[in-house]
Amino acid sequence: MAKNITFIVTKDCQLACKYCYLVGKNEKERMPWEVAKAAIDYVLGHENDPDFAYESVIWDFIGGEPFLEIDLIDKICDYIKLQLFERNHHWFNSYRFSFSTNGINYDSEKVQEFIKKNHDHLSIGITIDGTERKHDLNRVYKNSEKGSYKDVVRNIPLWQKQFPGDGTKVTISSADIPYIYESVLHLYDLGIHQVNINCVFENVWKEGDDQLFEDQLMQLADAIIDKDLYKDYACSFFSENMGKPLNCKLQNQNWCGAGKMLAVDAAGNFYPCTRFAQYSLRDKEAWIIGNIHDGIDKNKLRPFLTLDRCTQSTTECTNCEVAEGCAWCQGENYDAAKTHTVFERATAICKMHKARVRANNYYWNKLYRKLELEGKREEFEANKKDVKPEIC
Amino acid sequence: MLNPKFANAMLQYLVILLDDTSLAYCHVSNPLKERNLIPIDILKKAILFGMKENLMIQYVLPEYELPKEYYDVMETIDNVKILGAAVAKRSSPASTDVAVYNEVPDTITAKNAVLRLTIADFIAKQYDIAALLPQVTRLNICLTDIETFKDEQTDDYRKALATLNAVILNQYKAGKQPQVNILTDRLQLDKMHNCEAGIGNITLAPNGRFYLCPAFYYDEKTGVSNRLNHHKPSSECSVGDLETGLQIPNPQLLKLDHAPLCRICDAYHCNRCIWLNHRLTWDNNTPSHQQCIMAHLERNAARDLQQQLKEAGFAFESDIKQIDYLDPFDVREQF
Repeated sequence: MAKNITFIVTKDCQLACKYCYLVGKNEKERMPWEVAKAAIDYVLGHENDPDFAYESVIWDFIGGEPFLEIDLIDKICDYIKLQLFERNHHWFNSYRFSFSTNGINYDSEKVQEFIKKNHDHLSIGITIDGTERKHDLNRVYKNSEKGSYKDVVRNIPLWQKQFPGDGTKVTISSADIPYIYESVLHLYDLGIHQVNINCVFENVWKEGDDQLFEDQLMQLADAIIDKDLYKDYACSFFSENMGKPLNCKLQNQNWCGAGKMLAVDAAGNFYPCTRFAQYSLRDKEAWIIGNIHDGIDKNKLRPFLTLDRCTQSTTECTNCEVAEGCAWCQGENYDAAKTHTVFERATAICKMHKARVRANNYYWNKLYRKLELEGKREEFEANKKDVKPEIC
Repeated sequence: MLNPKFANAMLQYLVILLDDTSLAYCHVSNPLKERNLIPIDILKKAILFGMKENLMIQYVLPEYELPKEYYDVMETIDNVKILGAAVAKRSSPASTDVAVYNEVPDTITAKNAVLRLTIADFIAKQYDIAALLPQVTRLNICLTDIETFKDEQTDDYRKALATLNAVILNQYKAGKQPQVNILTDRLQLDKMHNCEAGIGNITLAPNGRFYLCPAFYYDEKTGVSNRLNHHKPSSECSVGDLETGLQIPNPQLLKLDHAPLCRICDAYHCNRCIWLNHRLTWDNNTPSHQQCIMAHLERNAARDLQQQLKEAGFAFESDIKQIDYLDPFDVREQF
């Protein structure tokens, strides 16, 4: 298991994506070096604390757009490496630096220098949403409606060359549904073999969206199967571990790692996950669990570390016949809750999950029938790599 | 005040704060200093509500003398009065009434008493408190600064509880059975019996609105949520009013089965104070480290008392087990 430490290095971004949950982006809150250093010192100084007793660590950098702060990031990573060595820390050589970027300045000299320097410890995901019209529907430059597709797609070959096999993350909101089929196939055409795709958790869904969504996924299923794409490509929408009822005793774990992760922002405040920082929240106050000066108030973490699936779920959810694979975001749960709690599950995604389950069932039934007719089912089952849902 | 029959039951009690300065009767202090007497028509409506909903009325009085017409209205229904020590002294409290003391008195006249003290005072005055036990039928000890409890105070608190245990043991041997909430309640319980704010009882404030407990009314009035980074100028805390009735949002989160730590716990006498939860962990259903530690020190002291009573020949339906933790959070993976 790896501890996830997230630096919110900036709340600025070149883009103003229409579905972005970051409602409080701004150009002012950039992390000062002193804050980053103090956060690292705090984390590495608590090596024996049970909350940090993980085998390895993922240092995550997000924004806004993290690569806007490449100088700071470079300095942070150098300091981490030095400190891990000097402290003889058990995370020495057991760490990764992880980035989720919009890809616009991926080919800049500074970013490329950084990649060269840290390549073996890097995970970088570039977000490209699919075809140009789908991508540019949402991923537009701030203060303009200009789409960012062309500025991102030019960097995809370089990224895939440097990080072959790394996947992209696609986000679906209501307006995107008609373009799912073409977009996933387009990403495959770009050479991206792993497409991690999620519906937003916010309550944005319109009447009929679930049927449209199901139709798109079935078209996609047909294409993936008929063109034998399933052999080399994966799409997280289709998973065998989905759509079955769940047991409240045996399958009661929380979906995400909020509370086990630690995020720090430019002010030096700590959060159980970035979704609990103020810039991520529409209606609630930030859930600050401490800061670089006073440390972590562990009482504020107790709700997160005692969360389970059934306690936060409605009766409809716990009795749901297709509960498996239905995700939630703890931050969205908190933001949408009627009271100040992380124990109220938001269910806006319900009808989309059910549509996905129907399409997913169709996919596997069709695929297995085809494989049986071709006499290849056994071979497939022996070699298959199940696509696990991305858990943040 | 303790009635195991109603543990985890439906709404049973309506607590009516007769004035903003009604005295604090549990571990939460009342920060309101200005008098604001409940309008008599609201009091009448509250009583009517209580009658229709079949609730036992508990009046919480201020320190000053109420107008006579208030007493006339109050007595139109069976009730319990929670009185200040001074009021209790000058009147003749009924056997069901509860007198509240904010410092350790020389003597206690009421049969049922609440003693509100800081942890430091409880430890410092443990012998004076022990000396009061033969005078009362029931003593509720409410420590007013639970949130400040430090692990370093564990031994001192344990020792103070043992001091009270010694007197309780002698009282039992003498044929008396004084009740002390933090020690003897656990002897009688085989399931959680907590404050049950919002479940077993609900509070009506002088403004005619319902609150889960008085503390949430104080929060709304003072506009300070006392949180690490939360300083809202005002916060709406009420859960309904006499006109529209009770509307508790997320009521399931007040219940034991929706409290992951508490439902695995056997410190059955614990306050499980949702306001303290709200203040310290920010979630009503999650207890703080401090609350858990103190409740378990009391639970373990109750176990010691049970062992001593058994040696003295008293029988119990079930034994309080020996455990090796003080905070169930630390062993949550085992359940």
